[in-house]
Amino acid sequence: MQIQKLLVANRGEIAARILRTARTQGIATSVLRHVNEQPGPAHLIADEIVEIDGATPVAAYLDIAQIVAAAQRIGVDAVHPGYGFLAENAAFVRALDTAGIGFVGPTGEVIALMGDKVRARAFVEQRGFPIAPSAIEDDDPATFVERARAVGYPLLIKPSAGGGGKGMRVVHEDAALEAEIETARREGERYFGDGRLFVERYIERPRHIEVQVMGDGRGQVVHYWERECSIQRRFQKIIEETPSPALSSEQRAEICETAVGIARAVNYRGAGTVEFIYAPDGAFYFLEMNTRLQVEHPVTEMVTGIDLVAEQLHIAAGRGLNHAQAEIRQTGHAIELRICAEDAAADFRPAIGEVLLVEEPQGAGVRVDSGILEGCKVTTDFDPMLAKLIAHGPDRTAAIARMRAAVRDYVILGVTTNTGYLDAILAHPRFLAGDVSTGFLAEEAAVLTAPGEDVTDILVAATALSDRRLVRTVDEIPEMYRLMGAWRN
Amino acid sequence: MRRILEIGNGEIPIWLAHTGKGYVVHVRDRAVPCALTPSQGRGAYVLELEGRSIPLRMAVSETATFIHLYGRAYEVGRIDPADWLVEDGAGAGNDSIVAPMPGVVVSVAVGAGDRVEKGQMLLVIESMKLETSLSAPRGGVVAELPFAPGQGFGLKSVLVRLAPKEE
Repeated sequence: MQIQKLLVANRGEIAARILRTARTQGIATSVLRHVNEQPGPAHLIADEIVEIDGATPVAAYLDIAQIVAAAQRIGVDAVHPGYGFLAENAAFVRALDTAGIGFVGPTGEVIALMGDKVRARAFVEQRGFPIAPSAIEDDDPATFVERARAVGYPLLIKPSAGGGGKGMRVVHEDAALEAEIETARREGERYFGDGRLFVERYIERPRHIEVQVMGDGRGQVVHYWERECSIQRRFQKIIEETPSPALSSEQRAEICETAVGIARAVNYRGAGTVEFIYAPDGAFYFLEMNTRLQVEHPVTEMVTGIDLVAEQLHIAAGRGLNHAQAEIRQTGHAIELRICAEDAAADFRPAIGEVLLVEEPQGAGVRVDSGILEGCKVTTDFDPMLAKLIAHGPDRTAAIARMRAAVRDYVILGVTTNTGYLDAILAHPRFLAGDVSTGFLAEEAAVLTAPGEDVTDILVAATALSDRRLVRTVDEIPEMYRLMGAWRN
Repeated sequence: MRRILEIGNGEIPIWLAHTGKGYVVHVRDRAVPCALTPSQGRGAYVLELEGRSIPLRMAVSETATFIHLYGRAYEVGRIDPADWLVEDGAGAGNDSIVAPMPGVVVSVAVGAGDRVEKGQMLLVIESMKLETSLSAPRGGVVAELPFAPGQGFGLKSVLVRLAPKEE
């Protein structure tokens, strides 16, 4: 298949990022927009904008029939799903197949296998790859609670159909087990329309390490090294980096080879990520495979110098892999921050507002993948991630220093963001030492959200002097002030 | 001329005056001479404050001032004391449940006109992927439930209003 025209079935920063690469490949581009959605950067890049409608904006982006019909109407050769929305939806791939439109990603069968966390674990285990001790409800629903108990505490309850941390609950003691199972089931039903669960041993002080892979669908698979994503709040990553400061070169080779083995076992096509839980003793366990581009893919691009979206398009066009394994090298160190509209000091409450002023940082080794424009309104209609800030340096210390300068230079005014919080993480001695686990943010919450130096006087003076109504009123009363002064004397 | 500014979780009363030579802001029992001058760049200013020159970026909305200072962003809410007093006088008391954060209504257990007991579950909301049950702050009659299941709401939206207490 030749891709002459592409539809990006997504929005925000990832749509813009994919469109930029597609355009450099000489591909005509189009992108979706919900009828009530304000234009974003993607809408300035695409050659064509396709309006979609739905009960809610998110529902429109999940509407397979409408999106496939739109793709047919405007005559695209392939659809790139980005991540989220329909990126891991096997029914979407099948609908595109039926319509004779290509999908930039793996086959529907592989998506369905890896999307069912229980089947995926069984598949991986059968082929001799490591998984954590677990109990699966479907094996025998009547004894599930008993078997969960036997896995031992602390344990983690997960929806079988889950992903992205939704519906996950950690249980530390037996007394809470049954109630937490019921809550997780309700959440699973609501988010995924599927209340089936499984539990696995919760590894204490784990790191999250994942490996970027790419397959040609004909048995060839290469990896683009690992990413460490241990800095998480609510099971969601907010800082990612590569290389992982935790791995020796032997461990790195082992975990990357394991990921390649898993991808090869499913004859993987396109870009994917194999995620692992990495225990303090060096053991690692398969967590899940994400059958799509990841939010954090830019750090891999920065250290390998390879455009992963270009690789995806190359594979989708049936032209195979561009690089042999030996050509894919890690050079220097890269870090990504997820800039989110949220109040870190108020338990990461999502923030809303109008973006009044944006100024992106610039400089060597700095990249910004942004989904916002000045004047746009940030609402709770979509994910709170506004942009990604990526910094690359010759080594980890240099990358952190560049990132600190960049995040402090990133001006976003009008909506509360987590930039100050992210900067506090970068400055934390444990982060600098690479001594982190997925519990880091919770353990250090008090330090990370501590108020900085007292700048009250500066804020007050600047606010008062920029308040036109206030200044005008003050300017109108000098006469009175003089009289008061005289009277006071 | 007074304002009440909201910084963090605190409310700070301030007073701006002009001495004939320049502006003075009265804050926390001190009088601080200050001046603000636009500089290069959109929203860029230099604030002169007690002998220091401080570069900052600013954007002003109807009710708040956003300031990028020393690499961090701050939001300062502005309240005109007149508005503030009116709001205070209205005294919503415990007649309504106000959204502690933006989110979506998951389910509603009661309807307008229903009599409820203190502590009775009224509705379930979902914010940041977590479910929270909201229960009645007092006994009474439900006057209004503005959001149906599936509908989203913003911070400080009224989720349930109880009819005023019959004295």
